[in-house]
Amino acid sequence: MKVLVCFKVTPDYEALRPADWERVAAGSDETKFVHRVLNVFDESALELALRLRDAVRQAAAGAGRAAESGVAYGDVRLRALTIGGHDADPFLQTLLALGYDAVARVPANGALDFAPQLTASVIAAYARRTESDLLLLGDRSGPGDSGLVPFLVAESLGWSCLSGVTELRASAEGALRLTWAAGEGQQRATLRGSAVLAVGNAVVSCLRVPTLTDRLKTRGLGIDLVQLEDLGVHQQDVVASSGLAGLEVVDRRRAGVILDGRPPATLARTLLDDYLAPLLETS
Amino acid sequence: MHMSREAIVEGLRRLLGAESVVTDEEVLKHASVDNFRKLEDIFGVYTRPLPAAVVMAGSTEEVVEVLRFADEHGINVVPRTGGTATEGGLETDEPNSVVLDGSRMNQIIDIDTYNMQATVQCGVPLQVLEDRVRELGMTTGHSPQSKPVAHLGGLVATRSIGQFSTLYGGIEDMVVGLEAVFAGGRVARIKNVPRRAAGPDIRHIVIGNEGALCFITEVTVKLFPYLPQNNRFLGYTLKSMKTGFEVLRQVMVNGYKPSVARLYDPGDAGLHFSHFAEPDDCVLAFMAEGAAGISAATAAGIEAIVGEFAECQPVEGKLIETWFNNLCWGPDDIAHENERIYQTKNVNRTTEISANWSRIYDIYENALRRIVTEIPDITMAGGHSSHSYINGTNMYFNYFYNVVDCPPEQEVDKYYLPIISIICEETLRGGGSIVHHHGLGKARVPWVKEEYGSSFFMLEALKQAFDPHGIMNKGTIFPSDVVK
Repeated sequence: MKVLVCFKVTPDYEALRPADWERVAAGSDETKFVHRVLNVFDESALELALRLRDAVRQAAAGAGRAAESGVAYGDVRLRALTIGGHDADPFLQTLLALGYDAVARVPANGALDFAPQLTASVIAAYARRTESDLLLLGDRSGPGDSGLVPFLVAESLGWSCLSGVTELRASAEGALRLTWAAGEGQQRATLRGSAVLAVGNAVVSCLRVPTLTDRLKTRGLGIDLVQLEDLGVHQQDVVASSGLAGLEVVDRRRAGVILDGRPPATLARTLLDDYLAPLLETS
Repeated sequence: MHMSREAIVEGLRRLLGAESVVTDEEVLKHASVDNFRKLEDIFGVYTRPLPAAVVMAGSTEEVVEVLRFADEHGINVVPRTGGTATEGGLETDEPNSVVLDGSRMNQIIDIDTYNMQATVQCGVPLQVLEDRVRELGMTTGHSPQSKPVAHLGGLVATRSIGQFSTLYGGIEDMVVGLEAVFAGGRVARIKNVPRRAAGPDIRHIVIGNEGALCFITEVTVKLFPYLPQNNRFLGYTLKSMKTGFEVLRQVMVNGYKPSVARLYDPGDAGLHFSHFAEPDDCVLAFMAEGAAGISAATAAGIEAIVGEFAECQPVEGKLIETWFNNLCWGPDDIAHENERIYQTKNVNRTTEISANWSRIYDIYENALRRIVTEIPDITMAGGHSSHSYINGTNMYFNYFYNVVDCPPEQEVDKYYLPIISIICEETLRGGGSIVHHHGLGKARVPWVKEEYGSSFFMLEALKQAFDPHGIMNKGTIFPSDVVK
């Protein structure tokens, strides 16, 4: 099985202060001053793919078959793709050190940031080019995210699409067991065949870390740079990113009162008498 | 005479009341460790002897009662406030110890803007004090990474240092006076005066004692004008750590006092500056602050010094400013890091040392080479200099490793202590100090005699004089053969 995992490297938006956002709204690119991070949902997808491969290889080895047996799902090959600038290269090198079989970057410095249709075209074209069987990516990509890319990719490839995926396991029959968030709970299903899986709030949210030895071993491996034109996207198709029309700070702070400075028994009495009792009386 | 656990708890309840004596097992487990055994804490594995109780002292008088009781009955007491110590100083080395927690003593007693000093109880979080004085246009000047969660008592007890130390100094330069309670319940108040030469400076018996001599109940620290509008940020990339150390040395020797003066090696720089630094780049970062003229002159002086080194390439100051604004770790950052460690079993540790300018590079290089070649499963090893003086600087070794085929309770023995051992060996061999600001705790006690050499008897005498029954934080700072 050939798995393609798509990921996005974004500025660490949490490192920006309100004053910085005001400058962004005024047209200044404050995001160039902050560290780059993996989109957290993509990070889950990258780690889930590694765990899937580990499990399949372990099962194959345990069954006494060679890892590359050629049996469906007998091995998992991992490939990673990102669209962006060279600041994504350290992350691609990390993936090589972790055992991804190949990594690629489509150079496009912000050109496709607000162009989900084009982004999906690029990903779908690359998936076809690499004959991928399964495509994983996060179901959200951060500020400015349209939420459309996974579905547009699936539509382009003619594959099923499932979003909110939280878990991914190989089943004994060589299929995939999926868990995804559905309403207030979760649902499970068995997947056979190709699909686009958009990873949501997975329990697995952190990518493992390669050792220095792992990095040394893969230092000579290259990052495949794939031009937009090679994927059928031409410069004239890349309309200048939708401009930022405006920014509004959403105040998500919860209203609250801090009670402190007194013994716990007194605090508990204050909480009960002054805050909870009135609520109980009115309910 | 050893008391039973139940007798200890009953005795403490009689002294302070039941509501101040916590015996909940989960609380006791957390109180038996500090960040030295953070992996065990994250995985809910606790290997230290469980204390008998955590006592929440509400006043100096209550601290007196507890220490008197403990001294009378030979009970080990571990003083604790914010709990952010990193070297095992807060571990309970003996069964049925008493953790004496001062975090309820959280009142800001006085802010004196004329004499430029603030007096607080030991349990005041530094961030709380800092926020309060900033409202008055002042700053404490003390900004360790743990500022959002650390308390003043612990910061003084560990002889801590902050990110702006090159300008404001370490905690030892900031403390004006204090109050502490010694074993047996004796209270000492050291008054708030600018300087005195009435014998040795006894504040230094308390500052850095890590709870092995006394319990700090009150602290007075200096205040400084807060003038962030004059902050200037400078940053440079370069290829050589040797060059970087020489730049820092010249900045200090020429009398400039930027509040921040840091040199990152490529490994450590990669964690912070990969958005503008190449993988093999070192990074120099400076911040000048203070009155407008001073800040401008400091920045200009640094620029002139760095300009003499052709390999140093300037970067936009805003890059350094943005990095600087995100240096401190609050509870949410700690929680996020703990989750990362839990999922990946990749642990981040730090060990800081100091040495003269002529020795620091060799110590850094030798220690790093040994860490990378002798320790398995290393995922990153590097470091930075962050506190410079006219005669030398510190080195903050920063390293990550995967914990492989090893239960959480064995991580310290398999990875952390061997790395500490390498760093301490190389530092002592190079004539440096094995601990710059995290404190000895229990982790570095094996090297304390070599650290002090012929002066160790002076340290030993302090323990024998101030804690003759050896009840104060056994195993911290002083080897077991010192404690009678």
